[in-house]
Amino acid sequence: MRRFRGFGSLIAIVVVAGAVLLYTLVAGNKPLLGLDLQGGVSVVLKPVQEVDNDTIDQAIAIIRQRIDAIGVAEPEITRQGNNILIQIPGVKDKDRALELVGQTAELQFRPVLANVPVDPQEATTTTSGDPAATTTTVAPEASTSSTTIDPTKTVGGLPLDVCTAGLTAEQINAAGQAVLPQCADGLLVGSYAVGPVALTGSALETARANLADSGQWTVAPTFKSGDDGIGGFNAIAGQCFSKGSTCPTGQLAIVLDGRVLSAPSINSASFQADQIEISGSFTERTAKDLATSLKYGALPVEFEQQQAQVVSATLGKDALHAGLIAGLVGLIAVSIYMMAFYRVLGLFAVLKLGIEAALLWSIISWLGANNGLALTLAGITGIIVSIGVSLDSNVVYYEHLKEDINHGRSIRSATDKSFVSAFSTIVKADVASLIGAALLWWLTVGPVRGFAFYLGLSTALDLITSWAYMRPVVKLATRSKFLLSRPRILGLPAEKVQERNNAKASTRPTAEVSQ
Amino acid sequence: MSKLGRLNRGETNIDFLKWWKIGIAISVFLMVVSVGSLLTRGLNLGIDFEGGVSWEVSAPGVSVEETRVALEAVGEGSAKIQIVGTDIIRVQGPESTIEHTAEVTKALAELADTDPANISFSTVGASWGGDVTKSAIRALVFFFIAILIYLSIRLELRMAVAALVAVFHDVLISVGVYSVFQFEVTPGTVIAFLTILGYSIYDTIVVDDKIIENERLVGQSGRLTYGQMTSLSMNQVLLRSINTTVVSLLPVIALLVVGAGIMGAVTLEEFSIALTVGLLAGAYSSIFVAAPILVWLKEHQSKFKVIRERLQSQGVDVSHAAPRVDLVGAGVATATSVGSSATEAIGSTTGAAPTVAPSGVIPPRPRKNQRKR
Repeated sequence: MRRFRGFGSLIAIVVVAGAVLLYTLVAGNKPLLGLDLQGGVSVVLKPVQEVDNDTIDQAIAIIRQRIDAIGVAEPEITRQGNNILIQIPGVKDKDRALELVGQTAELQFRPVLANVPVDPQEATTTTSGDPAATTTTVAPEASTSSTTIDPTKTVGGLPLDVCTAGLTAEQINAAGQAVLPQCADGLLVGSYAVGPVALTGSALETARANLADSGQWTVAPTFKSGDDGIGGFNAIAGQCFSKGSTCPTGQLAIVLDGRVLSAPSINSASFQADQIEISGSFTERTAKDLATSLKYGALPVEFEQQQAQVVSATLGKDALHAGLIAGLVGLIAVSIYMMAFYRVLGLFAVLKLGIEAALLWSIISWLGANNGLALTLAGITGIIVSIGVSLDSNVVYYEHLKEDINHGRSIRSATDKSFVSAFSTIVKADVASLIGAALLWWLTVGPVRGFAFYLGLSTALDLITSWAYMRPVVKLATRSKFLLSRPRILGLPAEKVQERNNAKASTRPTAEVSQ
Repeated sequence: MSKLGRLNRGETNIDFLKWWKIGIAISVFLMVVSVGSLLTRGLNLGIDFEGGVSWEVSAPGVSVEETRVALEAVGEGSAKIQIVGTDIIRVQGPESTIEHTAEVTKALAELADTDPANISFSTVGASWGGDVTKSAIRALVFFFIAILIYLSIRLELRMAVAALVAVFHDVLISVGVYSVFQFEVTPGTVIAFLTILGYSIYDTIVVDDKIIENERLVGQSGRLTYGQMTSLSMNQVLLRSINTTVVSLLPVIALLVVGAGIMGAVTLEEFSIALTVGLLAGAYSSIFVAAPILVWLKEHQSKFKVIRERLQSQGVDVSHAAPRVDLVGAGVATATSVGSSATEAIGSTTGAAPTVAPSGVIPPRPRKNQRKR
C-alpha cells in the first residue's frame, strides 16, 4: 500500500467527479439556457427619477402582475441596483410583452357603480379576512375567497382566475366604465363596476399605516392642497356621500394598475387634507401594503427602456450550436497539440479537462436548477477560454519537469520537486485570473457577469484539479517501470534520462535493478 | 531539428537584450499608431453605445439592396444594413417607438419570407452602453489596484509595475486594432477585453517566477547583470510561454473560425476577435514589454547597478548591448562553478554537447543512493 500513499486526492477527485456527474444525470439536471440561447425577451428598465427601495419593489410587483397576464412560464424579474431586469423566455407575443412592461402604473380613484362580492358557495371552501375597507367608521363589506379556482366561472363579468391570469391592456387602461377585480393573495375577492377616473394618484402627498388606540390598523392618506389635491377628492367624495347617480354605492375605489386595492365607503361630504383615515379589518401587512401602494401612486415611477432584446428561438439555437461546435473543435485541436507535444503527459492533461468538464457541467446544472443561474453565450465563451487556462497549468508543470530533468535530475525526484515550484507559479497566475474574474463579477452587470462567473469558476476548478489530479497522476505514471524506461512516451527528454542512467549504471550497476 | 531541440530543452540562446530594443520600438510604433487612429478615426461604436434598434434575421439569398428597398417602405431607408456571418441580415436604425419597431420587424419578416417570431431585435437606450463602459472602467481601475497589491506581495513591486505597464500596453493596442480596422465595439467586446487582462498577466507571472528563481541561483554571485539574467530566464521559459499561448489561442481561434466564421454566430465573433487580439498582445507584451521594463527598473536599483558597473570595469563582459552567445552556459557555469571555458563550449557547440551532463542548475540530491529499501 505504501506505493499508493499520497494518491488519496486522485481517488477522491475521480470519485467526486464521477459521483456528481452521475447525480446530475440521474436527477436530470440540465444547464438552464439563457435567453440568447433559447430565445425570448429581455428588458432592462431604468427609473427616470430618483426612487427608493419600496417604490422599486412595488414597480416590480406591478410588472410581475402584467407579465403573468400574458401567460408566460417563469418570467424572471430581478433588481440590479435601481434597474429592473426582466427576462421572459420564449414569449410568443413579444411586442405586447415589451409594451406592457414599460408602461407606468397609475393610481386612480373611481366611483363604484356596483360591486359583486365573490360568493363563498360558488368559489368553494376557505374564507379569508376582509381586505375591503371603509372610511372612518363604516362597516366593512363581506367578501370571500377560494383555494380552488374554476377559470370558466365568472363573477360580475370577471373570470375567477383573473387575479393570476391578469387583465388585458384595454381593461387596465379603460378611462371610462370598467369592471375591475379586487385580489388578495392571487385570489379574486370582489368584482367592481367602476365609473370614470375621478382623480389620480398625483393628488396624493403621501400615506402611512397607523395602529389606532383601539388596536386596529388604519391607513391615513394625506392629500395635496388645492383643486388638484384635496379639492378634487372632496368633489368626488361629496358625490359618493350623497349616493348620487355617479356613485350609487357610496364607495370610492382605489385602483392601482387595473386592480381595486380598496373600496372604502365615504361617510362624510368633505375632508381635511390630512385628516382622512381608512379603517376596516386591516392586518398590519395589508395596512402597510395599501399605504405603500398609495405612496407609490403619489409618485409613480416612470421607466425608461434602457435595453430590450428579443432573440428568436432559431437564432438562439444557432448560436448555441455554433458555440458548442466551436468549443468541440477547439478542444480537439488543443488535445491533439498537447498529446503531440507531451504524449502520455498530454493525455493526462486532456483527462484533466474531462474531470473539470464533469464538475463544471454538474455545477452549472445544479445552479440552473436551484438558483436559476442561466448559461448564456457569454458564459460558454468564458468556459471555452478556460480550456486554455486549465492547460496552461499542465504546460507550466511539464516544462518545469523537463527543465529539471535536463539539469540532471532523475524523473522521479524531478516529479515531486518541480511540482512544488510549478504549483506555486500556477497559484500565482490563477489567483491573478480569479481576482480579475471576481472584480468583473462584482462591479459589472448583465452578460459581463455570466462571462466572469464561468471563467472564475473554471479557474478555481483548475486550481483544485491541478493539485488533486495532476500532481498524483504524473507521480503515478513515473512509478510505472514501463513508462519510466520509455521517457519518450512520457514526453520527457529521453537522451538526458538515458545519459543519466548510463552514468548511474557505470557507478552502481545494481542500483535500479534491485528495486 | 537542432533549433527545435534546443527550444525543447530550454537551451536557446536568443539575445533578448537585443530583441527588446526592437520589441520596444515596435510597441512604441504600435501605440503611436493606436493613439493616432483613436484620435483621427475613433472607434466604431455599436448601437449599444449610441442608442438605436438592431434587427437580425436569417435570410439566405437576400441582398443588401433588396433589404434597403423593403425598408424604404417603412421609412427606414437610411438604416445601416449589413450581412453578418453567412446569411444573417443585420439592420441598425435610430431609436424609435415600439410600434415602429414592430412595423420594421414585419417588413423584414416578409422580406425573409419567415414568421416575425424568427426575427431577433434589440433596442437600446443611449445610456446603456455608457453604463456598461462606466462599470467596465471602474472594474479596470479596481483590477489594476488589486493586481498591483497582489503581485507586490507575491512577487515584488517592480514586477507588478512592469506587469501592469504590459497590461496597459495590451489594452491600448487592442483598442487600437479596433480603431484601425473599424471593428464594431459592443459590450461583448468590452467584456472580452476585461477578461483578457487577468489572462495577459499569466505569461508575465510565469517569466517573473523564473527570474526570481534565477536571482537566487545566479544573480547573487554577481556574474550577470539583471538584464542578462532576465534574458537567460526568458530563454529557459520560452517554450513554456509559447505553449501556454498556443493552448490558449487554439480554442479562441476555433471560436473565431468555426463559431463565427463558418457558423456565423455574431456574438461569438464579437468575443473571439477581441480575445484573439488580446491574447496575442498579452503573449507579446510579457516578453517584449514587461521584461525590458522590469530590467530597466531593476538596473536602477543600487545592488544591480553595482554588479553592472563592476562587470563593465572588469571588461570581462560587454554586458548590455553585446549579444553574448553563451548566456545559457554562463548561467549554468555560475551555478555549478564549472570553469567558464567549458561553458563557452556548451554555448558554441549548441546543445549537441551532451558530455557536460552533470552541470545542472540544480545539483543532484546527495542522499539519492539511500533510497533503496
